[in-house]
This record gives sequence, structure tokens and C-alpha cells, in this order.
Amino acid sequence: MWDASSPRPWKDTKDLMAFTHSRRDNEPVSPRRVRARRRTSVIGLALLVAGIVAGCSAPSGGAAPSSSADAGTPVKGGELKVATSGSDPGCLDGHQISSEYMQFFGRVIYDNLVAQDDSGKIVPWLATSWDISPDGKTYTFHLRKGVTFQDGTPFNAEAVKVNFEHMLDPKTKSPLAGNYIRPYQSSTVVDPYTLKVDLQYAYSPFLDVLAQGWLGFDSPKQIQDDPASLCTKPIGTGPFEVESYTKQQSVVVKRNPDYDWAPAYTKHTGPAYLDGIEFDFVTEDSVRYNSLVSGQYDLTTAAPPENAAALKADPQFTYVNTPRTGMPVVWEFNQSRAPFDDINVRKAFRAAVNVPAVDKSVGFGFLYPVDTYLGTRTQFFDPSTKGKFSYDPKLANKLLDTAGWTERDSDGYRTKDGKRLSVVINVSDPTTQPLVDQIQAAVKKVGIELVNRTVTVAQATQLRYAGDYDVISGAWHTNTPDVMYILFNSASIPTPSAPGQNLSFTRDADIDAWTQEARETTDPAKQKELYSKVQKRLIDIAPGLPLYEYSAVYAYNNTTVHGIQSVNTHPVPYFVNAWKSR
Amino acid sequence: MTAVASSAPFAFIRHRLARHRLVRVIGVRLLTGVVVLWGAATLAFLAMHGVKGDPALAALGPDANPTPEVLRQIRLEYGLDQPWYVQYLTYLGRLAHGDLGQSYVLRTSVATAIGQQIGQTVQLALSAAIIAVVLAVVVGTLTAKRGPVIRSATSGIALVFASMPSFAVGLALLVAFSFTLHWFPVSGNQGLASLVLPSFAMALPIAAVLTQILRASLEDVLEQPFILTARTRGMRDAAVRVRHGLRHALIPLVTMTGFVVGGLLGGAVITETLFVRQGIGRLLINAVQAKDVPIVLGVVLFAALVHVVVNLIVDIVYTAIDPRIETA
Repeated sequence: MWDASSPRPWKDTKDLMAFTHSRRDNEPVSPRRVRARRRTSVIGLALLVAGIVAGCSAPSGGAAPSSSADAGTPVKGGELKVATSGSDPGCLDGHQISSEYMQFFGRVIYDNLVAQDDSGKIVPWLATSWDISPDGKTYTFHLRKGVTFQDGTPFNAEAVKVNFEHMLDPKTKSPLAGNYIRPYQSSTVVDPYTLKVDLQYAYSPFLDVLAQGWLGFDSPKQIQDDPASLCTKPIGTGPFEVESYTKQQSVVVKRNPDYDWAPAYTKHTGPAYLDGIEFDFVTEDSVRYNSLVSGQYDLTTAAPPENAAALKADPQFTYVNTPRTGMPVVWEFNQSRAPFDDINVRKAFRAAVNVPAVDKSVGFGFLYPVDTYLGTRTQFFDPSTKGKFSYDPKLANKLLDTAGWTERDSDGYRTKDGKRLSVVINVSDPTTQPLVDQIQAAVKKVGIELVNRTVTVAQATQLRYAGDYDVISGAWHTNTPDVMYILFNSASIPTPSAPGQNLSFTRDADIDAWTQEARETTDPAKQKELYSKVQKRLIDIAPGLPLYEYSAVYAYNNTTVHGIQSVNTHPVPYFVNAWKSR
Repeated sequence: MTAVASSAPFAFIRHRLARHRLVRVIGVRLLTGVVVLWGAATLAFLAMHGVKGDPALAALGPDANPTPEVLRQIRLEYGLDQPWYVQYLTYLGRLAHGDLGQSYVLRTSVATAIGQQIGQTVQLALSAAIIAVVLAVVVGTLTAKRGPVIRSATSGIALVFASMPSFAVGLALLVAFSFTLHWFPVSGNQGLASLVLPSFAMALPIAAVLTQILRASLEDVLEQPFILTARTRGMRDAAVRVRHGLRHALIPLVTMTGFVVGGLLGGAVITETLFVRQGIGRLLINAVQAKDVPIVLGVVLFAALVHVVVNLIVDIVYTAIDPRIETA
């Protein structure tokens, strides 16, 4: 998690009935969005204003509307131009970065051992089947034959082993992939296409995380002979290979002509249709929107919320807005210190904010409000946990009275023993300011002072891991309900040597036991029961204020681009099936 | 600087002396340049350490959830477990050998990272500088001492551009010439076409300032008696302005140009981001945000170097424009 500016990725889910409709290609789901960004601060707001002006004056259209009559028959060839938000990840090797970029780029140059189908179920991909030992500690993968890396190296058991070791090697400095398979102990190559993996302890999320974009496979030849080139030109097994990487500007990929192993749910066989794709780093929202509308790009990621309505209204564009799995955007309360060590204060804060109204206002109507600590699309999400609390300022006042914050100072804030009821949030992203302002105003009405401390990004990171805040905005995208271990198990509380993600400092013996037990069992019924208990407990202990789903948003010109699919693991565009009409 | 009128018989000796002096001056300038670089590196180092934030955590990125082993590895590999003065001395030691170090974030050497970006920034800065200077000279020369309508119109326009932030200029240009007219691409380093808008976005605010300065000094010059003399000899107005006026008026412009070139680097941050260009500006802003100290120091050193070189050139150019000036 971390501050609202940038959500994190990974992991997703399986069951879910909730939003299955939406992830299909041409069906834009209902509106909402989240902005995932770490941005070049200062210019943000001013550009927002400029963007609105620009949006008014730019014509909607402009693009050469090529025939959409052939929408049904894929055409081979053509280059897709994609505007991606966010800055250059600096490195394209999934093992070495944590950037959100890998959510879609991992599907461009890499493949995974397993995939998740539309329902979120783990299904075969480069592993055609697998066996799990009854104790949950040994996984035996049977690999697909005939798969090759883009340098001709065969994909086999040895390659998988080398990759697991690469992810975990401290020298790789993996910020993410390594930790997701941390329980990994060793691998044994049983035969060229069978790999036995031993874990240190039972870890049922293992299979889930293997579907994530960061856990693709680099050519073992490259890892061993030329590791320095992994960042600039990683060689994977995916449908496209890196042709050029112009730092701070673009990544260009071209079709892998040998590709024939797309996951079954894509219903795609053979190589990709497109000759290639150019991904440009277009960090300014207004430029991303206007260049899409004026036809200079075919698709943009993180379509800006202020332009969402315009894009949805224009039949030429498809606007896709899908909640990610994991923890939604939640303002977490630091329970390790006063005043949020008091459950009444936490519940009061939660009751003081009219979340749907705030979301509507700051998200231009394109945010999906939530009132749970688990994203609704996450596997084993328990729908019965919805609606357990709501906006109730009377209750908030009562709870604060109970907590002993009964006096008021001259500014109207509550006090106890002469001390003001004051909580601090560190804000490093100016684009989140409207949200902060609204919540500040809401809690002031019940007598809580929200102090907005403006800091740099690096400072925010340090304050976060040092626990120096009362409120912190977080979100964590991963494709397994193990997100509840990552965020709420006391073993995940950050220490100087291990930056864990339990930033609400939740210490609950039951949650610890349940999340641990869920890791150790491979019985879905048992997991469902355990994860349901955790979700209910979270509602009870109020470790934060749930705000909205952490969504993946993109938009494209549907007169020229067809066959865009959303990946279930990370609901971002998948290009293996994409084609361009001319 | 002192102005010495040169005159007759021993002129050749004076010239040799002047040349000798020039060489000495360049030598002194280079020496002070080294001091400037050291100072810049030191200040930047202290500033970066003054900003709170653990670079090891920052290097991993906000979305990171690394194992303790990875965190330890990063601290060890980049020497972040050492006290700041040890890190500083190590840095200076490496710098003395011409080694700018390794980026914490980009997984490459600082020299490589800057090398990849430098070409595009230089291209942009040069074309912006040329456009700005040409515009300033043309507009300034044409409008000095004209009627009130022309003067206040150009002053007004110049004031608007001078006070507009370059991203606003850039966005306006984009809306007009890219999104609406489709004359130029929004993005990329794709040849000349994609250089036009960003160059103008950077050049216009600068040209506005330079125009005002040039015109003011030109108007002073045009008041001088020798201009009147030239006119009485029957010289045409244009010739008076260019041959006599401009040369005298250029000195303040050249001085300002030196400052402006430094400013171009700062302007590049926004322009490069807006126009999706590679460049030092984007590299720097990402590095500052991620607390990638070696990259920040590398870019600061580069900027200081540019500053030293540009000022040296400016001093030499003074002598060319006005031989009475000795660089000292």
C-alpha cells in the first residue's frame, strides 16, 4: 500500500461473480476509475485546469475513421500506438521492478506458468497441469512442450528453475516478485518438462501469484550470460519481443513470429496479429486524453477521470473501468498510537464521512465506492460484509463522547485533558488534495482535526515505513485473498529491516491465525470460511476508512482497434488478440 | 572587465598581450570551473541528504514489498549503510576518477543514463535558444523607437509570453497545432516535425524577455550622438539599426543569453514531459522523486559544467562584439 497516489498491483482472484460482465472487450463497464499515478507533482493541478480548457476546445474526432465494417475479421499487420501513464519504470525485467507497468507489459513480452480465466479460476498456461502434495509444500508442474524464448532457447523445467532462483537472488534486488515466492525453497528438474518445487512451508497463494505480470520468465541463457541486458531488452516467451527501449520516452515491441501458446481463455492461436506496438510514456493526463481523441494514439491507459464522461459519450471510444482485486483504496488508521489506538475514534472517523458523496465529487462520478476492506472482485470476497456501516455523524459524535473527547476548543475541535483530537496525514501527491480537503471538512464537523502535512515522495515513503502518521492512504492490488495476510497480519508490520505492508498496525491474534491457516490449507471451502471470518473481523475493528475500488482504466478508439481483451489477473489491456483495421 | 581604447604604433604588441591574457583568462576560468563543479556536487549531495527519506526504500519504489535480504543487499551495494561523510568522500573519490557512480533505480551507470538522454536535450535547448535569439533580434530591432501602437502591442505580447509558464505555452501550442490542426505530432523524438512545438514552447517565453532587453538597450543606443551622425550621413534607417545600433545593444543580450541557457535545462523538465520527449529534464525529475542521489548529482554536475562553459563562451563573445572589452 502506500499513498493514494500509487496503488499497487498484483494478485487477483478467482471466483467472483461481481463484475464478470464487464471485463469483456468491447463492453465498457460502468464508470469509475482510479488514478494510479506517481506524478510530477507541481504541474498536476495546473494541467488539470489547462486540460479542461483543452478538452473543451479540442474536437472529438479527428482520427482517420477507417472502416469499422470489417470489425469481425482480424487483419494481420499494423502498429498500435499506446499512450501509457506513469513514468518510465527504468527497467523492463519484471523480476527487478515493482512498477505497475508490468501489469500489462508482463503480458506483452512474457507468459506465466498459469493464468486466470474470466471467472478468476487458475487455469493452465505454460504449465499444462500441476499436482500439489497433501501437505501443500510440494508443487509438481508439468510444462507445455514446444515453447521457446525469443532467442530460441527452449522453455523447460531448467528455465523455470533458473527464473525462480533469479527472482529470489538478493543481487536481483527484486522489489516484488521475489517476495511473492519467498517460501520457495528449491526446485528439482524431474525431467525436461517436469519441475518439482519445494516450499519451506505450505503457501496456498503460490499458484495465484505465479499468474502475475512480474513473475514471467526471462531467457535462462540471458540470465546466465548477459544479465546486464535484462533491463533494457529482456527476452521472454511472450507474443511480442522488445525491439527498442528509448529511456524516458517509449518502448517498441514487434511480433514474435513463433508464438503459439496464448492462454486458452483468449481463444487465440498462433502469433499476434499486430506487427508491433509502440508504448509511449505520456505522463500528462490532458495530453493523453487529447492525443487519443485527435487520433495520435490508439489506446491510452489510465484515461483521465475528468475526461471519462466525454469518452463514454463518444461511440468512437471504448472506456473500460474495472476494479482490481486486492485491497481497495482505504485510508488506514495507525493503531499503534493515539488517538486511533481507540476503536471508538476509528469507528467515529469512519462514520463521519459520506463516502459515496465524496467519491462522486472527486471522481467525476467514475469511482466505485466501497464499504469493505477487500475489493469486491477478489476471490472469496464475502458479499455479506457489505453495508455494515455507513455515514452517520450522530453515531460519530456519540462514539467520540464515549471515548472521552467531550470538550471543545475555540476552533470547535474536540479535546481531552486539554489536548486536541488531531490526526495527521502525509500528502505527497497534489492531485489527491481535493479528496483530503473533503474528508478534512467532513471530520471537522464531528470535531476531529485532520492535519495535512505536505511532503516529498521520498519523505512520504520513509514516514510510511517509520509509522509516522495517523492516517495513510493505501491500496494493494494482488490476485489472491492472501492480501489480507500482506496487509493485516502482524507479521507484516514494517520494521527497519523489512518494510512490511501492515500500515494500519493491526495486531489481532485471530486475524493472524486465520490468515496463516488459510495459507496452509489448499481446501477452497476452508479458505473461504477463514477469509470470510477475517473480512468480518476487519469490519468490526475498523482499521481504516474504505473509499473506493482501485480500478484499472483504459480507453481506446474502437473504429481502428479491435480485439482488446482485459486480463483477469490485472484488468489491463491484453494485446495478443488485438488488431487494427485499415 | 575594463575597457581600454586601443591605439596605434604598438598595436601588435598589445594584440599579443591580449592573446596571452585570453589564454590566461581561460586557464583561470577552467580552474574556477573545477571549484564550481565541486561546490555544486557538494551542495547537491548535502541537499539530497537533507531531504528526509531512506534512499534504499525510495530506490525500491512505493509499490515495493521486498524481502529483508533485498533491502540489505541494496544498502550494502550502494554503501547506504555508511555514515553520510563516508558516502560523500567515497563519492568525491570516484568522481576524481571520472566515475559518476551507479543509479539506485535505473540499474545502470549514471554516465550511461545521462548519455542516453543528453542528445535530445541538447537538440531541444539549442533549437529553442536559436529561435529565441533570432526572434528577439528581429523583433527588437524592428520595433525599437517605433510609434506607441507598435511598441505597446509588442510589449504587451512579450509580457504575456514572459509571464506564461512554459507548460501553458506548450499546451496552447499542442491544442492549436497538434490536436486541432494536426500539423505536428504530440510526441516523440521523431525528427524535425516533433522538435518544432517543444522548441517554440521553450523559446517563446525566453524570446519575450530577450526582446524587451534588446529593445531597451537598442533604444538607448539609438539616442546616442553617433547615431545622429550616421543618419546625417544619409544612412538608411535599417542600416543604422543593424550596423550601428545592434552591435552596441548586443552586450546585455549576450549576458542574458548566458543566464537563459542555464534556464533552458529547467524548462526542459516540463517541456519534455508534456511533449513525451527523452531528455535530461525527465531523467532529473524522476530521480529527484525517487531520491536517486547519484543521478541527481550527475545532472547537477552536468548543469554546472554547462554553466561554466557557457559563461566562458559569453566572455569570449564579448571581446568579439566589442574589442574594447578585455576579459579579465
